[in-house]
Amino acid sequence: MHRRDPRAKVAALMVFLVVLATAHRALPALGLALVLLLSAALICARLPLFSALARSAIVLPFSLVFAAVCWLSGDPARGFALLLKSYLSALAVLVVVSTTPFPALLRGLEMSGAPRFLLMVAQFLYRYLFVISEEAQHMTKAAASRGATVRGFMAGARFRAAAGALAVLFARSYGRAEDIHRSMLARGFMGRFQPAGALHFRGTDAVFTIFASLAPVLLRAAVERAM
Amino acid sequence: MLLWKAIVHIPDGFLSTPVWATMDVAAAPAVGYIVRRAQRGFDDARVPLLGVMGAFVFAAQMINFPVGIGTTSHLVGGALLAYTLGPAAASVVMSAIIAIQALVFQDGGILAMGANLINMALVGVLAGYLPFYLWGGSPWRKLAIFAGGALSLLASAVLALAELLVSGVPMPASVLGVSLALFLVSALLEGAITLAVIQALEAIQPGFVRKPETGRSFALGAIGLAAVLLAAVGVLVASTAPDGIEKLGLQTGIASHVRSLVTTPLTGYQVAFFQAGWLRKASAGLAGLALIYGACLAIGRAVARKRSV
Repeated sequence: MHRRDPRAKVAALMVFLVVLATAHRALPALGLALVLLLSAALICARLPLFSALARSAIVLPFSLVFAAVCWLSGDPARGFALLLKSYLSALAVLVVVSTTPFPALLRGLEMSGAPRFLLMVAQFLYRYLFVISEEAQHMTKAAASRGATVRGFMAGARFRAAAGALAVLFARSYGRAEDIHRSMLARGFMGRFQPAGALHFRGTDAVFTIFASLAPVLLRAAVERAM
Repeated sequence: MLLWKAIVHIPDGFLSTPVWATMDVAAAPAVGYIVRRAQRGFDDARVPLLGVMGAFVFAAQMINFPVGIGTTSHLVGGALLAYTLGPAAASVVMSAIIAIQALVFQDGGILAMGANLINMALVGVLAGYLPFYLWGGSPWRKLAIFAGGALSLLASAVLALAELLVSGVPMPASVLGVSLALFLVSALLEGAITLAVIQALEAIQPGFVRKPETGRSFALGAIGLAAVLLAAVGVLVASTAPDGIEKLGLQTGIASHVRSLVTTPLTGYQVAFFQAGWLRKASAGLAGLALIYGACLAIGRAVARKRSV
């Protein structure tokens, strides 16, 4: 599954999401069927099943709040639907993203028609996300070691200090971006990105797309017919 | 408080099919347009800058601002990006952020991405930039920056709430009231944080912050801003209490009178020639928004013409 064309996986993902989003009947059974489907995909892709299931659960606290509101408003079915759909969607996205290197995913999106400029921004964002986050962590740690977390003490000054820290992070990020720009120019960047190696949509990808798209549809049809 | 800020990234499964589908259809050309707009100001070589600024916003959300009684808040960043990179580039960066949050962190849905993009990358950035554009060059600059930060958050949050309500997510009045109050507080905090960061930035290097031109008409600007606010609040109000308003109308006997007096194409919030109920409501809503957008555009042009005289 790791070697399938990203476009095939994205197409199958979209079908899955739409099948899930438009389902209204027999949700517990459908939910179980789809969880099993995704778990099977995870196992085939040799990804750790339980950590994937656990990681998708980050969407649950938020959904639980709304589910509770639904339940208290007398519509527990809707609350359950919210929980189920948000969890399964997160899991499905996780499966696709875990089996596709990020640059390949973006390339697939670009070949499917998404604006290249936007995708390039996303690529650079992803590349520098962890670098800059680490810098921000260093700054918060340094501030904490200087007493920034002392409660109630000079909150106004701490507010301004945090703002200053953000501004410094901004300036450093901006400077870093300028350095990147200069090194690109020094390496002969001509002002336009050339598309990297094209992806090849093969027969196996077509077969995968068909089967992976049919699976949730058939499962839903089967579950709804059985109910 | 942070959980409520998370509302603005709507996951999949919350919005009803008509809502997410309409939003996806609306978002696609809008994002395409804003990307082309941004490309005019920034060529491919500036892509690293936008990417790194996006990473900055992500990382900035880690820096906590003390806001009294043991709570902290953090910057969301739409307005800040608009003041430093310009609104089109800011929208592109926010779009990239939303895409990465949805794909890599499963924070926000895929089908719901159209809605999230419209709420945060388009309306949020626009609402944040407007006060700065209108009054950034005037003596009211600090207030404009504060207002922009607050409005960007408020507009995104209110729109998200409206979409959830239209999708039928039950929200009793108490929950709604609490949500709105929390959003208001978050919005004021965003304004304060944005202002503080902009001031700190200008101390480091004045060139970071854009210079909007001076001499904009206060009155026209206020009208334009009021229109945007009315649109956001109006969508929310209309989605919360359509039945309530109708019931009130029936009870007071006003409804029947109104029907005979005024027959505009959008009477009764329904466009006559659509069959499905939801399609009528959605298209009427979109038409309303388009009208208001057109009004803002016209006002903006009028302001520009007045300036160039």
